[in-house]
Amino acid sequence: MTEASIGLLAMLILAFARVPLAIAMGLVGFAGLWWMRGLNPALASVTSTVYEAGFEYTLSVVPLFILMGNFVTRAGMSRELYRAAYTLVGHFRGGLGMATVMACAGFGSVCGSSIATAATMTKVAYPSMKDHGYSGQLAAGAIAAGGTLGILIPPSTILVIYGLVTETSIGKLFAAGMLPGLLAVLMMCLTISFITWRDPSAGPAAERSSWAKRFDAMKDVWAVAVLFVIVMGGIYGGVFTTTEGAGIGAFGAFIIALLRQSLNVSVTLDILVESARTTGMLFMILVGALVFANFVNFTTLPSDLKNLVSTHNISPVAVMIAICAIYIVLGAAMEELSMVLLTLPVFFPLVVSLGFDPVWFGIVIVLVVMIGLISPPVGMNMFVVRNMLPELSTATIFKGVMPFVYTLVVVLALLVAFPQIALFLPQALKL
Amino acid sequence: MTFALLLQRTLGYFAAAVLFLMMIVTAVDVVGRYFFNKPLAGGFEITEIGLALLIYCALPLVSARREHIVIDTFDVFMSQGVKTFLNRLADVVCFIALSGVGYILFKRAVRVAEYGDTTNVLLLPLAPVVYTMSGMIVIAGLMHLVLIFIPHAEQAALESKELTP
Repeated sequence: MTEASIGLLAMLILAFARVPLAIAMGLVGFAGLWWMRGLNPALASVTSTVYEAGFEYTLSVVPLFILMGNFVTRAGMSRELYRAAYTLVGHFRGGLGMATVMACAGFGSVCGSSIATAATMTKVAYPSMKDHGYSGQLAAGAIAAGGTLGILIPPSTILVIYGLVTETSIGKLFAAGMLPGLLAVLMMCLTISFITWRDPSAGPAAERSSWAKRFDAMKDVWAVAVLFVIVMGGIYGGVFTTTEGAGIGAFGAFIIALLRQSLNVSVTLDILVESARTTGMLFMILVGALVFANFVNFTTLPSDLKNLVSTHNISPVAVMIAICAIYIVLGAAMEELSMVLLTLPVFFPLVVSLGFDPVWFGIVIVLVVMIGLISPPVGMNMFVVRNMLPELSTATIFKGVMPFVYTLVVVLALLVAFPQIALFLPQALKL
Repeated sequence: MTFALLLQRTLGYFAAAVLFLMMIVTAVDVVGRYFFNKPLAGGFEITEIGLALLIYCALPLVSARREHIVIDTFDVFMSQGVKTFLNRLADVVCFIALSGVGYILFKRAVRVAEYGDTTNVLLLPLAPVVYTMSGMIVIAGLMHLVLIFIPHAEQAALESKELTP
């Protein structure tokens, strides 16, 4: 317990002194291993972690999904998705907000980056909502919150990383994220409906679209829909592995972007280089976290925690609520992916020993990360929206996201109370 | 040619080519297997080696552009001077850590070369790949030194082409 606590403390001091998290975790992990097991085992452990992360076939799913997202972003399908959702629900009170959430979900699922989704949808949806007299508060809240949906609805990079670190089936995780993702979309729409019921001027209804117009709008989004169905259907149906699905997805997105004439050689190169950089950045964090996890696993912390829970007879649900609370507090001050990677070696063994399903816990973690992304004061998505809309004050955006923070907390509570929401689909698909 | 552009055109374009190859190989492999019953021999191995090259060749770019994830929660409480000082200190730590990792991986590469390890199907030699990995990690470490001594490099690196969504 003591070793792990000193390690965590040292890690935090380094991290707050602006040492990149990956390096901080790696250094402390290495020093801890050296201290507990000697220099040579520590060196050997770091070497194999760095070496094996590079040559691990299943990890190649990460750059390929990132590439798919960047091609889709470049292809600019966001406008068409928003228009399609607009024609469907725009005539309801708050309908444009709902359309924003739905378009965010569709775009975010294939794009995979909550930051890119929030940034793209701000450009697409905000002017339209503003024109129809929406309050800046509701518009910004819907965009920031909607932007988080993509990391829950598969394919999702964070679920891939969770699966790789905890050795949980990525196919199962992808299936498990689907229904909670749709539930979150529904709950966000209900929230918008509630807000505009209390204050109709916040989101007036737009004109109703004819069915002809709706079908016309649908025609523009079929490419993304087909891509999603091929990739997810292929993975769900066991036609190909997740890695192959990612490769097909990236290739399909490349073709879509080509057909939409949004690529030339220099743009393609930029997209590839940017995807490579994002991959390099993610892998550094991953390697650092793995070294740190090796160290934590040699300390008594995981078993001490288990003993603590069993001797005090704490109920598993209470433990789960405590873990979620810790994540939400940590998430308010820390970058989310690093937070997850840093805490998984401590929490995961405990959660599994209490009889929780690892697949379900993965979905819980993603929901907590989503809450972190839009919680004041440092929610990343809020900052993306604020930077792109300088006319809105930070206070307005804070007020705008809060209803959605509560909404996601409710979704999280539902998921904890009814694990079947996540586990039904993987079981039904016999993954 | 600026320093940033040089990095982008060498390591960046190489990583880009590797990633493009990985995408094509996977797609050809899957399509070949399901439609023509002919999987691409060794596609698996190309992807594995590609991933190793991709990650570690991108690393110097990530370092040069300060794209590593840093906790910036307390930035609002820091003056620019404190921030610059901490950044330089962190750069020294990164340089030492990355050079160290590069060195131990180099020793691993020497061993891989001695054993003459290759992949199973295509018999691609692994040693050059591991040498490249270790070299790239050292270069990434050097980037942090560059950032300390040439503060303009940081700015230039950030101004190199930025992709807007």
